[in-house]
Amino acid sequence: MRPDATDSSAPTGAGGEGTEAGMSLLGQTAHVRAEAVIGTLAALKDEGYESLVDMFGCDTGESIELTYHLRSYAKDRDAYVKTVVPYDAEVASVWNVYPGALMPERETAELLGLHLAGHPNPRRLLTTDGVPPLLRRSVAIRSVEEVKRR
Amino acid sequence: MTDPTEDVAGVGLLAEGLHDPGPAPAGIRRAPSGVDGLTTEHLIINMGPQHPSTHGVLRMLIEVDGEEVVAAEASIGYLHRGIEKLAEHRRYNAVGTLMDRGDYMSGIHGEMAIALAVEQLMEIEVPRKANWIRSLTSELNRLANHLVWYGTFGLDTGAMGQFLYSMRDREALLDILEAISGQRMMFNYVRPGGVVADLPAGIDAKIRAFLETFDTYLDEHDALLGGNEIFQGRVKGIGVIDAGKALAFGITGPNLRASGADYDVRKAKPYAAFAELEFDVPVGTVGDAWDRYQVRMCEMRQAARMVRQCIEGMPEGEHIAKVPKVLRPPAGEVYACVESSRGETGIHLVSRGEDTPYRMHYRAPSLFVLQALEDILPGHLLADVVMIIGSTDVMMGEIDR
Repeated sequence: MRPDATDSSAPTGAGGEGTEAGMSLLGQTAHVRAEAVIGTLAALKDEGYESLVDMFGCDTGESIELTYHLRSYAKDRDAYVKTVVPYDAEVASVWNVYPGALMPERETAELLGLHLAGHPNPRRLLTTDGVPPLLRRSVAIRSVEEVKRR
Repeated sequence: MTDPTEDVAGVGLLAEGLHDPGPAPAGIRRAPSGVDGLTTEHLIINMGPQHPSTHGVLRMLIEVDGEEVVAAEASIGYLHRGIEKLAEHRRYNAVGTLMDRGDYMSGIHGEMAIALAVEQLMEIEVPRKANWIRSLTSELNRLANHLVWYGTFGLDTGAMGQFLYSMRDREALLDILEAISGQRMMFNYVRPGGVVADLPAGIDAKIRAFLETFDTYLDEHDALLGGNEIFQGRVKGIGVIDAGKALAFGITGPNLRASGADYDVRKAKPYAAFAELEFDVPVGTVGDAWDRYQVRMCEMRQAARMVRQCIEGMPEGEHIAKVPKVLRPPAGEVYACVESSRGETGIHLVSRGEDTPYRMHYRAPSLFVLQALEDILPGHLLADVVMIIGSTDVMMGEIDR
């Protein structure tokens, strides 16, 4: 069953102008501007979403879409906060609101070529210096033949 | 404040050349200890990535003051294979093979997560028998995984005997899983739509024979390690993760339940046949290493109970739905999760209507435990670090992906 396009119980959040909330196949989703992410997450935490389940980014071809997946265990509800940032943008860390974002943020920034602001340890997590942002669509993977040829 | 070395020099130690610290090498900090005004050194210990107790290739940088941990930092990436990137270049049927290599101890769960995500996207109805086989293999896999954890956690504490016995039982389980799927660990058995092959003839007798002895073996395992006074003395009270911290850091699975939070994906968002199976969710109280041990031992009992229900009530019918050879889910984004051996293994799947995923994000439960360890380890003794890492059952394969 696919949920309706709109749902009145969607998270309200303090996203302010440019905030758009609704239901998608994913669940309750709020689209906010990049500056409003921390405010929205803090407001949602106050609403009872006590845990950050996950955080990841997706290269849409024109920009990077970041998704924060929150959960309220008491209400057994999930909510998603999405924002779009340009390539190589500086992203404010949300670890002060959700410490669970510490490592996922580092991973996302490294693999999608973003810069973290306000993170206690913004160094690379998985790969060494000089490795391109692997999850960008423009970074190609090599076939077995290509690896052998080198 | 006076220079403490002057006092030392005053009593003649420096004059004899016994306590001249010299210039500190890189990575060593000097801090006054407050005892007799002496200066002590903080040493940074590099543990891993080839340390036998780091369960794979975890590297921890541990700053110690004497034997006490002051700060800890996890350095990961030694097993990074780019599973998320590779998934963008695999057809949906083949992504399961990558998931097997993520959490390589419980492959069925990873395969099931991606299968559930594709089914959600394509709105595929999974046959009832396939759901039951999924639950059966998932619980068998959980038993095999927890047995490895049980054996190696004992090794971390210095106990040896239980490892051999746990490997004996695990081998029997892997034999069963091999008979079902054709592989010991890299199963690629659960596919979108169901499971790839029906259960082989006579497998129920094999599982029954295993369970007959396993229940008594499990009591023996528990008595051998958990009943050991030295073991109890070592693990009780260390590595406490209270429920608030566990939720804040995004910890799921047995580690969260040991903290007293009653959350299990199999109950909260039932998948496969778990809605029809009877089982209890063991919950701890304080969230120390001993609670985590007990929660996992109880989970093994529950898993054995579910396996028994699965072979008793295995329905007849098809083992896979009618699905096209090349899967092309409609454009959309879904999240599917399963309760793997380590917590909530989730798949965020973004499809653009092609035969390969546009983006697949693998939520690895161990990653969230690992980042919490950086917060938990300070204050413990160096010897407890290995035990705390062991008690959380982190798996580097899924952390690095």
